[in-house]
Amino acid sequence: MESISRISSLLETARDLTLEAAQQAGPRRSTKPLPAQQIKKLLDSRNERDVLDGLRRVIAMQPLVYNYLIHHAEADPDTALLAINTIQKSLSDSNPRIRAMALKTMSGIRVPVISQIVSLAIKKGVSDLSPLVRKAAALSCVKCVRLDPSARPQVEEYLAALLADKQYYVAGAAVQAFMEIYSDRLDLIHPVYRRLCKMMVDMDEWGQLAILRLMTVYARQCFPHRTKSVKRAAQTQEQKSKDFYEDLEPEESEADEYEDVNIVDPDLTLFLTSTQPLLQSRNSAVIIAVTRAYLYLSPATHLQHAIGPLIALLRSPQDIQQTALYNIVQVALHDATLFVPDLRHFLLKASEPPEIWRLKLEIMTLVFPHSDKETQDLILAELEHFSHSANAELVRESVRAIGRCAQSSSTSSRTSRRCLSLLLKQIHSADENLVGESIEVVRHMIQRSPDDHRKTVIRLAKNLDTLTSSVARANVVWLVGEFAGYEPESNIAADVLRILVKGYADESEAVKGQIVLLAARVYLHYLNSRNAKQKALDALNPPTEQQSENSNSAPDYGAPDEDNDRGFRDDAFSNDTAGQADQKLDLTHPIELLYTHTLLLARYTPSYDLRDRARTYRALLSTPSSTDLASLLLLAPKPVPQAPSPSQARKTFVLGSASLIVGEALRGDEGIPDWVREGEEPDARLRDDGVKENEYVAGRSTATASAGQRLDEALAADPGYKSAGVAKKEKSLDAWLDEEESEESESEETESGEEDEESEYETDSEDDEQAGLVQ
Amino acid sequence: MSAIDALYIFDEHNNLILDHVYTNRPPPPSVILPLYLQQPSPQPSVLYLPSLDPPTLLYSIIQDNLLFITPTSSATTDPLVVQEFLHRVADALEEFLGSPLLASKITASYDVVAQIVGEMADAGVICQTEANALRDVVETGPGVLKNLLGSIGASGAGPVLQSGGSTTGIGSASLRPQIPQVQSAQGSAIPWRRSNVRHTSNEMYVDLVESLSVTIAPSGRPLAAFANGSIAFTCKVSGVPDLLLNMSTGGKGAGMGSQGDQLRRMMERVVFHPCVRLSRWNSEGILSFVPPDGRFALCGYEVDLLGSESPLTSASSGKNSAASLGLPATIEVNTGLGTSGAEFEVRLAPSNNSTSTAAASLQSNLSRSAGPFKSTSSGDPKAPALENLTVHVPIPAGVRNVPDLRPSRGEASFNPAEGSVEWRISGKDFGPGGAVLRCTVQGPLSDDDEDTSGVLNGMTATTYDYDEDNGSSTYQTQDGGEEQATANGTGSAARSVDKAERKRELMPTSATLSFSVKGSLASGLKVESLLVDTKKSRGLGAELKPYKGVKYLTVSRKGVEVRC
Repeated sequence: MESISRISSLLETARDLTLEAAQQAGPRRSTKPLPAQQIKKLLDSRNERDVLDGLRRVIAMQPLVYNYLIHHAEADPDTALLAINTIQKSLSDSNPRIRAMALKTMSGIRVPVISQIVSLAIKKGVSDLSPLVRKAAALSCVKCVRLDPSARPQVEEYLAALLADKQYYVAGAAVQAFMEIYSDRLDLIHPVYRRLCKMMVDMDEWGQLAILRLMTVYARQCFPHRTKSVKRAAQTQEQKSKDFYEDLEPEESEADEYEDVNIVDPDLTLFLTSTQPLLQSRNSAVIIAVTRAYLYLSPATHLQHAIGPLIALLRSPQDIQQTALYNIVQVALHDATLFVPDLRHFLLKASEPPEIWRLKLEIMTLVFPHSDKETQDLILAELEHFSHSANAELVRESVRAIGRCAQSSSTSSRTSRRCLSLLLKQIHSADENLVGESIEVVRHMIQRSPDDHRKTVIRLAKNLDTLTSSVARANVVWLVGEFAGYEPESNIAADVLRILVKGYADESEAVKGQIVLLAARVYLHYLNSRNAKQKALDALNPPTEQQSENSNSAPDYGAPDEDNDRGFRDDAFSNDTAGQADQKLDLTHPIELLYTHTLLLARYTPSYDLRDRARTYRALLSTPSSTDLASLLLLAPKPVPQAPSPSQARKTFVLGSASLIVGEALRGDEGIPDWVREGEEPDARLRDDGVKENEYVAGRSTATASAGQRLDEALAADPGYKSAGVAKKEKSLDAWLDEEESEESESEETESGEEDEESEYETDSEDDEQAGLVQ
Repeated sequence: MSAIDALYIFDEHNNLILDHVYTNRPPPPSVILPLYLQQPSPQPSVLYLPSLDPPTLLYSIIQDNLLFITPTSSATTDPLVVQEFLHRVADALEEFLGSPLLASKITASYDVVAQIVGEMADAGVICQTEANALRDVVETGPGVLKNLLGSIGASGAGPVLQSGGSTTGIGSASLRPQIPQVQSAQGSAIPWRRSNVRHTSNEMYVDLVESLSVTIAPSGRPLAAFANGSIAFTCKVSGVPDLLLNMSTGGKGAGMGSQGDQLRRMMERVVFHPCVRLSRWNSEGILSFVPPDGRFALCGYEVDLLGSESPLTSASSGKNSAASLGLPATIEVNTGLGTSGAEFEVRLAPSNNSTSTAAASLQSNLSRSAGPFKSTSSGDPKAPALENLTVHVPIPAGVRNVPDLRPSRGEASFNPAEGSVEWRISGKDFGPGGAVLRCTVQGPLSDDDEDTSGVLNGMTATTYDYDEDNGSSTYQTQDGGEEQATANGTGSAARSVDKAERKRELMPTSATLSFSVKGSLASGLKVESLLVDTKKSRGLGAELKPYKGVKYLTVSRKGVEVRC
């Protein structure tokens, strides 16, 4: 029995062998597809032959098996190692696709023990005849280095060979691998630079992406930015075409006509020109990558080519459209004029989601100052239309956009007025949101150029009757208070206060706070002017002095109040007793009564914050003759509010990067390096084919500088009025005093240049001078 | 640089149906999904999760209700790279499993999906995303095993041609003596076309689809009008055909250079499938390409229907130029009608000269040049068929109800959830007389104008006596008069103004028009000829005359927006 079975099994094995041989030789027709259960049955069978058959069927599912191996090797390294041998055999298969797959699988097995075998397999793959295998070898480099970093030096050799491959998709994959693991070893690129540039067009999109990223960094580090330069532009063009593939130094030029043009290294020009066909790619990432190269390498000459393709991205699916818009905004922040002809693409659609219209609105406001009158009209009409929208958020954004338009159009006061009247129209809307938002924006505009807008304040004040939005009311009251010091004879502030106080109880808390502030300011101005009169009486000065001074200093906002205060301060000190006497006489002046009434009202307000404020004002203004401290606090010049474009804060982020979309600097996002300094760049001859010196070390010194610079930029790019305001608030009173004194002393010095000492009394002396002049 | 860490696919109930890890150790789907769903809907397509370790960027797309998520911890990856990748994965799955993608299809053919997904990125490096070329690598169909043996086994059985790939150059040329000329002539690969295509019936279809994006000002003047076109090409031709697609502008822009120049001027911002030879397009305006097998997007373009040279706001384009834009209908919205001003009206009128001659002429043009050619447009080519005519009127959120909808034709309904009125008219109903829809809106329940207008602060009786002084001020003169009237008006006057204002806020501010027109293009582009370049083509018989078809379609998916 035993022997028979042994013989039969031997026989079977022998038959298997023959079968196998036959199958290797001829078509494997005999194997038919079997369902999984049946294969399982075969594998579980006691018959060796059945098991073999089953195994063969399993092995036939090679891709799936490989897939399984890659994913589960880590969990079960021992079993995975058993497979290595088989895979190694496949590496010498006659079918290149099998070889490629085996290489891919082997390098994908994450078991560190085999790193040497993988490295050898890659070496074999690099010299394979089939580009398919070479491509797999390129991608395997990444996995090999990730698995075992100590293999770097060997892999580096392989990769260098693959970068020089003549087959474009091998080179593309090699660049991808290079960017993954050796992105700082730019010296490997020198010998293949020109070849890669020329091959770029034929590569697949992902290879193009890798090469665009690589070359952008490479160009920054290898081509110094020569600003003042040499040849006439037309000639450079000729030169370029001639010198492309020759070994001429960029500096080697027949210098007959000099012009102030950026000289671009011919090698860089080669890169930039070979990127141009990529702008018709259907891959949005490629378009952005090309734009990035243009923006950071040669915006003046090439950026305009990228605008059309960028706008074409608006046709893409919505998620891509949104990312594209972020990038378009970024380009527009650099140069908005480029988008002027294509403005119509950025008109809003009622059905768009907020992320999209927000960015479109921003682009419109960025383009606004650069466009002609008709376009501006179109933008304003667009913004006006959407400020009537039912969507509160959209209303707010479009009103803000109008404000930004008004702010940026520094040239045309007409446009600014148009914006203002647009905003003022909104005041009568029943939509509180809209009213509040537009008054806020109007307030910013008024603060920016207060002297043009005195009447506007009055007009706004008139609307207090009908305004219901508490934000709007608070803003108007605040504005009235701000302007309380103008034209003391006909100022409305006291009157407004009188009317507001009547309805004090019904106001919202924000408005109440502003009313109390208004009362304090009105009272302060009253005290100031009374003190001035007193002083005038005392000094026998002409009473017109104050007005003339006011109108003289009109153009610079904030100065009038300040001057007033300063002018009177010293008098206040000196004429203390006189002021007090005066106060007794005038105790029944309506302003005084109003003020005390308001403070009384505030005292019984439920809000403790408001009660605190009222107490502060009371303490500040307790001594009618000494108002300088109160003036400093209440009448301090306000920093001019700037409403920067919302994406201004993102300007430092690199175009196309994830940081730009997320809005914060992500870890590992290094940005674009600075231009290499002249003289530190690697020798241009390194890029000649055949020369393979690795002497160059990438300009790492620039890395630290760029980090610091980026920080500076980040600080500089945040001119938001909020931060400015905070900064001012943080100053101590002394700092305030010092600063203002020094500022004034500076201005004084330019005028007279005499009063080096006694800077505190400068205004006084100036007053005297003026008085003298008048006399 | 372009590291894709993993790909997760969730079905419409947010159940995980595919989890493929490429590289590193990305956060598992069970961690990511709740974080994703936390975000207010609609979730952003790029999401930054700083709370994870390491901080992770989440990219997502939703295709056919399936949610594709890719986490990546590398901040250096460009967002668009990942987004494009996700779209390509969805496209590839669609190519293999058929459209629309269903969760059941994916779960039923994991073997194919695993191969596709595994092939598209190698250890996180995106490498092969051409759906058609993937066909060479990925084995599909119900009998995966059969195909596997045929093609992956060293020397396949029946279809010898199936094995290897045309991308193998010298090595493979010797393997397949049957078609050596393909390999040797091509030299290298056509990365986008699978090798050894065989079809029993050879056919090619060109579908030109233009999607309109038109914005019309209240005055009826178009502010912007673009036709976003795409050329979808379906090619089922054996061998390696080299095609020439010749188009013309249909008479527009005549007199400016050659036909190719006109075409290139008209088709702006063109993007091409990588197969198109750019030089040929740039010099002659002809699309010359070796297509992938099956259906693919050949080209995307844009036509400015107002003419690219026309100034932004010129009135010359005419008051009612919807017809000149190629729109089949004009739409007009009037608000604030009726005694109480609570009604609005949408007027729809057919534009008389919207039919294009493109469809009529194509037949003759094409049949003359290349064998059997038939317009596959379902409508009568002489009278392009208008279908799916729908008007959407977004209604402000303040409106409680639209109880009264009176369409003269078709059906209208108010959908409170979406906040819009939808009005459908079938193409047959829409005659030369046009159609009108009249609606009445209802505001909020407590119509409390009287309480809020000015009495809120008990200040209605107060007046400011400095009004008179400033009325004639220099700056406000522009619209000071009107403003003052409103400001001064107290009591009933102000209230009525306010009431009208309130009514106005309940009025819609825009309406959109959707439709589809078969057999005509808004831009008037025409396909002049589609030729197989027999000299350059390989592997197809000389006598082969593929069946050709052209389809024109103009659609507007809420693309025509009229403001009021």
